[in-house]
Amino acid sequence: MAEVATPFPQVPVVEEPVSEVGQLSQWTLMRLRFARNKLAMIGLFGLVFMYLLVFLGPFVAPNEYTNQNADYIFGKPSQFTFIGPNGRLGIQPYIYQMTTKLDQATFKFVFVEDKTKKLPVNFFVKGDPIVLLGFIHTDIHLFGVSLPQRVYLIGADSIGRDIFARTLVGGQISMTVGLVGVALSLIFGSVLGTMSGYFMGLTDDIIQRTVEVISSFPTIPLWAALAAALPPVSVSFTAMDRYFLITVVLSVVGWTGLARQLRAKVMAYRSADFCQAALAAGSSDSRIIFVHMLPNAASHIIVSAALSIPYMILGETSLSFLGLGILPPMVSWGALLKDSQQVSVIVQHPWIMLPGAAVIITVLFFSFVGDGVRDAMDPYSI
Amino acid sequence: MGELTGSKTIVDLDTILRINNLHTYFYTDIGVSKALNGVSFDIPARKVMGVVGESGCGKSVTALTCLRLLPKNAKIIKGDITLFRHIQKGNGNSAIVDAVTLTNLDPMGQEIRNIRGAELAMIFQEPMTSLNPSYTVGNQIAEAIILHQQVDNAEAEKRTIQILDQVGMANPAAIFKRYPHELSGGMRQRAMIAIGLSCNPKVLFADEPTTALDVTTEAQILDLMRDLQAQLGMTIVFITHNLGVVAQMCDYVAVMYLGRIVEQASIEPIFYNPKHPYTKALLNSIPHAGSRVRDRLQPIRGVVPDPYSSIKGCPFHPRCNSFMPGKCDQAVPATTQVGEGHTVRCFLYSDEVEK
Amino acid sequence: MINYIMRRLGYMVVTMVIVAVLGYIIMELPPGSYVDAEISRLRMAGGNLAPEQIKAMYQRYGLDKPQYVQFWLWISHFVVGDFGQSYQYNMPVNQLIWGRLGLTLVFSILTLIFSWVVAIAVGVYSATHRYTIPDYLITAGQFIGLAVPNFLLALVLMVFAQNVFHMQVGGLFSSQYLNAPFSMGKFLDLLNHMWIPIVVIGASGTAWLSRVMRANLLDVLNMQYVQTARAKGLKESVVTWKHAFRNAIHPLIMVLGSSLPGIISGETIVAIVLNLPTTGPLYINALLQKDMYLAGAFLMFLALALLIGNLGADILLAWVDPRIRYE
Repeated sequence: MAEVATPFPQVPVVEEPVSEVGQLSQWTLMRLRFARNKLAMIGLFGLVFMYLLVFLGPFVAPNEYTNQNADYIFGKPSQFTFIGPNGRLGIQPYIYQMTTKLDQATFKFVFVEDKTKKLPVNFFVKGDPIVLLGFIHTDIHLFGVSLPQRVYLIGADSIGRDIFARTLVGGQISMTVGLVGVALSLIFGSVLGTMSGYFMGLTDDIIQRTVEVISSFPTIPLWAALAAALPPVSVSFTAMDRYFLITVVLSVVGWTGLARQLRAKVMAYRSADFCQAALAAGSSDSRIIFVHMLPNAASHIIVSAALSIPYMILGETSLSFLGLGILPPMVSWGALLKDSQQVSVIVQHPWIMLPGAAVIITVLFFSFVGDGVRDAMDPYSI
Repeated sequence: MGELTGSKTIVDLDTILRINNLHTYFYTDIGVSKALNGVSFDIPARKVMGVVGESGCGKSVTALTCLRLLPKNAKIIKGDITLFRHIQKGNGNSAIVDAVTLTNLDPMGQEIRNIRGAELAMIFQEPMTSLNPSYTVGNQIAEAIILHQQVDNAEAEKRTIQILDQVGMANPAAIFKRYPHELSGGMRQRAMIAIGLSCNPKVLFADEPTTALDVTTEAQILDLMRDLQAQLGMTIVFITHNLGVVAQMCDYVAVMYLGRIVEQASIEPIFYNPKHPYTKALLNSIPHAGSRVRDRLQPIRGVVPDPYSSIKGCPFHPRCNSFMPGKCDQAVPATTQVGEGHTVRCFLYSDEVEK
Repeated sequence: MINYIMRRLGYMVVTMVIVAVLGYIIMELPPGSYVDAEISRLRMAGGNLAPEQIKAMYQRYGLDKPQYVQFWLWISHFVVGDFGQSYQYNMPVNQLIWGRLGLTLVFSILTLIFSWVVAIAVGVYSATHRYTIPDYLITAGQFIGLAVPNFLLALVLMVFAQNVFHMQVGGLFSSQYLNAPFSMGKFLDLLNHMWIPIVVIGASGTAWLSRVMRANLLDVLNMQYVQTARAKGLKESVVTWKHAFRNAIHPLIMVLGSSLPGIISGETIVAIVLNLPTTGPLYINALLQKDMYLAGAFLMFLALALLIGNLGADILLAWVDPRIRYE
């Protein structure tokens, strides 16, 4: 007897409420995770603050950065006090006026505060004329004392220039060279790494050998050799041109790391199902690379960029310190540190190391942010 | 056979390990997870005891607590575990010579380390990752032998090859020199068992040893374990979620739910006369031989609750088909006896409340 | 294993050839040559040179021949050990570089060992003692170690040593021992002068390595086989070192090669600050003076050192990881 198939009993369909949790986009999730990382947020705000500070540098500093003061060679930082000329404590800051006295023991001129003369430090004072952000001409500074006296927050260098002002202006170069260098490395590294991994064969071999050869040179000697090859600063080759070529030099070594990593990723993606499907659907090579592979690798690229910036900043600083990077009249932290090569100079005038502190703090902040970016991207990347 | 109760002070002569009112909590950033919330049972010597339950009910934690292998954020809040050392008396009986309270020992100390591997051994679920890829199989087995039996390398090698033979490896001398990545999954699990057996432990905790293996290999490993258990007179605590394996292997069964034992009995009453609603539901949820085509499987409704949450009353009541409102959601039932060696925690059988 | 080594050596030779070509191109990039610089120097000093004299100078230095011929001359002499003549010092490059290269090698190896020993100790400690105060301090130290430029650290340490300990720290020997015969005192003085360069050059490498070590060990400690080892009854220290560490060290050996460039680069700069008689100061100076043969020889040897270092690292990795040997 044939078995009669009984139809399935009709079970009423129950509508389950759709869960809201899966609605956040990948980038929003990464952003939220980054925001929870305290160190990373400190780094981020610190960096924003520093960028503002250096680009508004000429305004923030009480003196113009090239202004030389023969009376204040290696002068110490101005001493502040809150006790007014009438001897009472107030909120108005004062600095002691500096005079030079002949030290009877060493027969050298030393700077001594003249505690009888107090100069009030005011906000928004008239000072040296400056150019802000390239187009604002003014002579108002954030704080200072009335000319011809000057306040030196961190002291003066070998020809009497304000170190604070020079550090701020130097920051404009030091904090941007890294970014431009990384951007160039990113472009080279992504393009070449992807090509290498995608096309394989001869292209891969050539690019890989190139990467190996470049990695065989120790970094600083290589940078030194390339930087030494740049023509000296002249009318046809300005300091600005040199700045850009230095960033190119820095990125020559920087791209290899990213190229290697992307090559490995692209080779892994190639055999992944989603790329095979795209291939089967007839997508062109460039479509697969740009629409499918690179967006997935994007988080990896961003992390690599974030982690390379400190490396580039240290590179520029080292090169300039050796005299092969940024040259006068342009100023960067490394170039400023060049003045402090003698131990005797440092011992007597420790304030000329301020640009060094600026480098350390900037690199620290970038490291925090870089780590934060990497931790934020990690669980959500392919 | 002795009585299996958790709270009596009289110890049956055949008990080798007694777990008494064990509470193990895990402290994390998100909250406190009460992994074991009053676990009590006796493990009889020379038998296979199965511990069954869904993922997260605390089966592995029980074994890890016995061996004091818990991570740093876990704490034994209450309760104790006692290991009874027996000797064989001339007339065929054994007598208890010594009792060690494992929960009182320093987890990193010399005493527990002497017991681990030598008297209590444990084998784990994933043979792929349970063996160190950088050392040969022989080295890893011999290591345990040298540690506990104080013999030299040559003697340890001899004994290792013996054990490899015992666990059914073809060509044990060659296997001795192989690295884990050169062996198949089944062979690796045999190697794992060899490590466990290397020092003739009294109790072997097997934490889902066949879950990661294919069914054919699983059958071979289970056969092996049964044979070894008979040969060596070893006690096995077999942790699993697979009732089919339990039916094949075990003499006694303890069913766990959310950190408590909800039912305990020897093998036949559990399968043919289950008392606790959870046990019944578990048995109903597996496919039966003889069911009709197109019969639906009956899953247990609801999901295992979040380990960080607290449920008032009997922890199973939200999913229980015999839920009695006003009773089951107010207090936790105490363990009561419902038959010869058969205990249950359920208000269907007694009104006793856990203190 | 032998096959593996032979293959890697073959690659190395090919790479070395390309490095030589590239190195030569880089050397020749700066416009003008030493001779031109010399000529303009003479002119500025008031003297003048007749065209024949200029031509003779060019000939003497081989600069009148086309570039590829110059390259061939250079490379063919190089491989037999004739590295050319230094313009500045007017003596064979040979005599100038060996001592310095040797010292660079010594410093590099010592720094490598120091770096690794400290990084492993620190990394293992902070992985096994998470969330304790020493762990936080170590993390802070690592961040700072990575952020401070090595020449700055050298300067700061020098100032410190000079002011606080009243030690002379420039160069390799203090002035009183400079020309003295070898003695225990001289040896101790040498050690005194060596520790600052080693610490400074190794600082950022050590910081980075210890973080990698910590991360690797944490990953490995979560692995099941560590639990198996504990279940055997082994002491925790044996579990950490025999079982966990052995597997955590693999990725570290893989990056052994990448810590080398940092060491050689760092040595270049730090030597200038600390006035050490190694490659750094002479090399940078040669670049600035366009002393091509001298600079070229240094660059080639530094690249060779790096390649050999990488080869050593690869061999070490193959020896440690049995799986790689069968590639």
